[in-house]
Amino acid sequence: MEKAKISLYQLFVLILLFELGSAILVPLAIDAKQDAWLAILSGLIGGLFLFWINYRLFLYYPELAPPEYMQKLLGKIAGTFLAFWYIIFFMYTAARVLRDFGEMLLTFAYLETPLFIVNALLMLVIIYAVSKGIEVVARTGELFFVSIYFLAITGFILIVFSGLIDLNNLKPMLEEGIFPIAKVAFTQTLYFPFGESIVFSMIFPYITKRKSVKKVGLFAIGLSGINLAITMAINIGVLGVDLASRSQFPLLSTIQSIQVAEFLERLDVFFMISMVICIFFKVSIYFYAAVAIAAVIFKIKKPSKLTYPMGMVVLFMSVTIASSYAEHLKEGLEFGTRYVHPFFLVIIPMLLLGIAFIKNRKRSSHQKI
Amino acid sequence: MTMSLFSLSKKMKKLKIQKKPAQQHDLPAKALQSSLQEQIDYIKEKTGNSIDVVIRKLQLGDGKSAAVVFVEGIADSKAINDFLIESIMNKHPVHNSQPIFEILLKEVVALGDVKEITDWDNLYLSLMSGESIILVDGAQKALSASTRGGEHRSIQEPGSQVTVRGPRDGFTESIRTNTALIRRRIQNPDLWLENMKIGSVTKTDVSMMYIKGIAKDEIVEEVRNRLKRIEIDSILESGYIEQLIEDQPFTTFPTLYHTERPDMVAGNLLEGRVAIIVNGTPFVLIAPAVFIQFFQSVEDYYGRADIATALRFLRILIFFISIIAPAAYIAVTTFHQEMIPTQLLVAIAAQRETVPFPALVEALIMEVSFEILREAGVRMPRAVGSAISIVGALVIGQAAVQAGIVSPAMVIIVAITAIANFATPAFAVAISARLIRFGFMFAAATFGFYGIILGVIILAVHLCSLRSFGVPYLTPMAPLIPANLGDTIVRLPMWAQKKRPRLFSDNKENRVGDNQKPQPSQSRGMVNSALEKGDQDEQN
Amino acid sequence: MNKINRLMCSLVIIGTALLLSGCWSKKELTDLAIVAALGIDKNEEGRYVGTLQIINPGNVAGGMQGGGGTQGPPVSVITGTGDSIVELSRRTSRKLSRRLYYAHTNLVVISEELAKEESISSILDPLERDAEFRSTAIIVIAQGEKASDIVKILTLIDKIPANKVIKTLKFTERTWGENISVSMQEAIKTLVSPGKELAVSGFRISGDVDKGKKMENTQQTEPSSLLYTGSLAIFKKGKLIAWIDGETARGSVFLLDKLNASAIAVKWERKDEAMVYELIRQKTKVMAKMEKGKPIVSIKVQAEGNIGEARVPIDLTNPDVLLKVEKVIEKEIKKEITMAVKQAQKNRSDIFGFGEALHRTNPKEWKKIAAKWNDIYFPEVKIDIVVDAFIRRTGLRNNPHQVNK
Repeated sequence: MEKAKISLYQLFVLILLFELGSAILVPLAIDAKQDAWLAILSGLIGGLFLFWINYRLFLYYPELAPPEYMQKLLGKIAGTFLAFWYIIFFMYTAARVLRDFGEMLLTFAYLETPLFIVNALLMLVIIYAVSKGIEVVARTGELFFVSIYFLAITGFILIVFSGLIDLNNLKPMLEEGIFPIAKVAFTQTLYFPFGESIVFSMIFPYITKRKSVKKVGLFAIGLSGINLAITMAINIGVLGVDLASRSQFPLLSTIQSIQVAEFLERLDVFFMISMVICIFFKVSIYFYAAVAIAAVIFKIKKPSKLTYPMGMVVLFMSVTIASSYAEHLKEGLEFGTRYVHPFFLVIIPMLLLGIAFIKNRKRSSHQKI
Repeated sequence: MTMSLFSLSKKMKKLKIQKKPAQQHDLPAKALQSSLQEQIDYIKEKTGNSIDVVIRKLQLGDGKSAAVVFVEGIADSKAINDFLIESIMNKHPVHNSQPIFEILLKEVVALGDVKEITDWDNLYLSLMSGESIILVDGAQKALSASTRGGEHRSIQEPGSQVTVRGPRDGFTESIRTNTALIRRRIQNPDLWLENMKIGSVTKTDVSMMYIKGIAKDEIVEEVRNRLKRIEIDSILESGYIEQLIEDQPFTTFPTLYHTERPDMVAGNLLEGRVAIIVNGTPFVLIAPAVFIQFFQSVEDYYGRADIATALRFLRILIFFISIIAPAAYIAVTTFHQEMIPTQLLVAIAAQRETVPFPALVEALIMEVSFEILREAGVRMPRAVGSAISIVGALVIGQAAVQAGIVSPAMVIIVAITAIANFATPAFAVAISARLIRFGFMFAAATFGFYGIILGVIILAVHLCSLRSFGVPYLTPMAPLIPANLGDTIVRLPMWAQKKRPRLFSDNKENRVGDNQKPQPSQSRGMVNSALEKGDQDEQN
Repeated sequence: MNKINRLMCSLVIIGTALLLSGCWSKKELTDLAIVAALGIDKNEEGRYVGTLQIINPGNVAGGMQGGGGTQGPPVSVITGTGDSIVELSRRTSRKLSRRLYYAHTNLVVISEELAKEESISSILDPLERDAEFRSTAIIVIAQGEKASDIVKILTLIDKIPANKVIKTLKFTERTWGENISVSMQEAIKTLVSPGKELAVSGFRISGDVDKGKKMENTQQTEPSSLLYTGSLAIFKKGKLIAWIDGETARGSVFLLDKLNASAIAVKWERKDEAMVYELIRQKTKVMAKMEKGKPIVSIKVQAEGNIGEARVPIDLTNPDVLLKVEKVIEKEIKKEITMAVKQAQKNRSDIFGFGEALHRTNPKEWKKIAAKWNDIYFPEVKIDIVVDAFIRRTGLRNNPHQVNK
């Protein structure tokens, strides 16, 4: 663990940028068709609960980073083993997000550029940022947060003013009843993006005002969920369900539909700007968490030394995990959200919380006697 | 040839070796001899018989011989004549019982600051800083009288940071004048001044100034320690100090602020910053510096708040234009042609049709030739300056376009960039924008807007990682300190700016009282009470 | 210190490597052939023929930089043949010194023959898939002409013919209302929807096509060959099945809620077209419901406008008279809408999206009838039209002048 201080506002900004990250770009919860936004909101509720679990664990061990309390709860060897798996999980997810990003850039703007180059450039920037420490990442986040929201609001206004939104596209609501929504919410949106907030348990120990972590965290996740739901609703409103579900990147198609005053058209670049920034933060935070856990379990004093080798691993992983974008997506949906995510994002934290609860109750009852 | 070179370098080595002990030999304070002739000889030897070291021999009343030594030019010769030489020669001491120095000190020398000196080191230090030395035969002491003076540049309007509204005085090369200019503005005993001499050869006076109780003690201590740490032979300008005490040496961004304006220094001292004043330069350093400071001008505080805010937004925009404009042009014309409206694209394409270079080369040609012109314009003697501008306008503007080497659109871009660069208020930031711009141009030429965005992220991470005396460079935006946001890109009116910058001032007191917002209640009555009465009558 | 050196080193190495290895997606402006319009035909052998209208920048922009070439045509046209759109586009490279650049292609012209023969969705797929191509490109049908001819005609005021076509459509939609400009994205959205069919404007050529290709065409006050908007093409399952025009077309545009402004001539006191109502804005709401297994559509139109012309003696200062005029206008609008619906029912093609409206309100029943909607249910739809027309102003004069001689 490095010596760093993160303010509550910085935590808020990081959570928001992280949650919006890649989720805002892909057709999130589109399996629920025009009710995608409802599915996102229902997933949000579960996501808030998952955040609360991580927060409770943090409250039991406010001074310790997750790998340290894992060692405490499960014993030295088992704890280290588990923490090691989390390193791999975080690096894998970082690589996945990076791959998403590279594919996107290649699909719509840089068709002839090799994937490796595009990913490598961003990864180098991420390595540079992470090697500067979490404080610098957080401050950069503060800086970009405003500009991202500024872009988002401008985009929203432009879409509204060019009269693109047809709310009829969102009707009929609940066409198939509540079941498909619940299914999408609990097999997809719960994990991606809301459950992913587990990485922030690596950042909690840096926060000076511990009591407000819950409030700020829940608020940030809630806001990000609402933002995502609004975005998806706009996407469907503009494109219709069919086009939104066939689009690889519905937000891009939405932005491409903007035509204002014969001057503001083809605003792809603004999409790209916000995309690069969001992805930068998402990968940075995942990557930072992986580096920080590794630094703790291998007892390395300067985590920044780990950034180069681990960054290279993430980079190569991002290029090799799948041979095509379709395979990449399928891997994410079938392998990721079905087997990996429930395990790492839900079951383990719940188990840890259970053990922590029992251990601490024992201790406190001992103290009473 | 090789032999001679070899021997030369050997000699150099020897010289170096010889030099060191010689310097060290100087260090222990050597006491003065008692014989006047010996003293004079020693001075002559040490100063190499320099012609400006004046040694005036005198005869004291009791027949003892004495000498006044001073350096011509840096000592005030009028004061020496009137209050030193004349009074010594006129005085005929009666009571020989008293030591001669007592008499000189108490009765003869009519000058403010007189000290006794017993060793050579201090004697030379005083002599070389413009004081006069009085030597008396048979005494192992000397007197130094403060006669510092000589010719100085008078206080003038500063050449950089010109304002329309605001005080017209600027710092000069003399440290005392400069401290006085600040003291006149802050008439408070809490304004503390610490002096030190830095530079083993130049022995330059360096003062740090701060307001006790407003400046944070840790920062004052940090500045002091960093100044004390300096080991260097010479300090000729405050830039020397800046390079030796800044937090991050590998950055194009300045982490100390420098200014020629005393009102600016006073304003910064009141915010809790520390000023470092160096003798021999009108540029005063201010630490810690934050990024947004370089986009503020003193005039912002004298003018209206709303206008100042608008101007600050403009300056931020200017900064981005001067960094990104050519890069964006390259990116748009070589990668993202879909962005521009068709008509504009066709117009640009028509211009580019005859240009034989890729956009990057075209931009580089223009930018580099403009940089050459600018550098030439700065270094040229004034008389030839206009010739440069004519040649520049012709070459860059018209001929290059007519020859089909660059397109008119590129000329527009370069012109906008250049003017934007001139409009940045702080030269230190403007010049770093000039450099960064080329990096962005290359990034844009290889990866279009993706390259530019990555560049912006790197720039942001870099700026976020910078610190100035421990204070994050982007304070108060990142980390966000809402209480201090009133004086950043926006400038709130004076009555609304209550808090000092939190990261470099401990002082929690409000800067302005409560309810200072102007609340005129009588204005209507003041203008025309008769009219007001009429209004009421109508209502009735 | 060491770390920084290492970082600098790696940055320099990566930087030079990137610079040396070239810039993959870079496209210099001087290497681009900007395609303004794409016309698609089918030849006798059943292969696609693509006609590309390529902008000749020097001849469009003029000015000091254009050199001496302002005499040449602003666009040049190139054709390619292939079994697919991508193939024909790539094959044209044999005739072209530059890379085809589709990001500024704002117009796609499809020939009537082709649209009748096969579903246009197969043409639209590559265009939709391509990242460069604009989803906002406008689609028109070459009515009775070859698409290639539409693309080849030089135009007078707008130098780039594609712009002329798009602008013409846009302004006629805004001021007359018998045509609509449909973007590719909208077209695809409609094509995939089971409850709505496509309607696209046609474009025609007047005069001699061969003369229209020459520069002389743009050097006369009255061009010998001119492009103008034609009728509205009605599609069914992606194939063109009929053309509608005149009041029927305007009625359809009403129902699509795309009408911005128009001029509606009405009868007054037995004189035909005695008054003209200048429509300024209108709002059409379509609501559908099922009643006894049969769909009922209620249409509500709210129209606002001025009197633009009055050729009979009438007291326009009298609000009661205006109310009467409003009634007449309402009747006229209702008539146009009814005509449009009848025509569409005859064609068995629901271009108005009644099916979609039904889907929104009765999703369950819609599911049962969706497959048979166009052929069985739509022709049977009962419509119920309510029109509210308002006359807001009567122009600079109140009553019409009368010649008393």
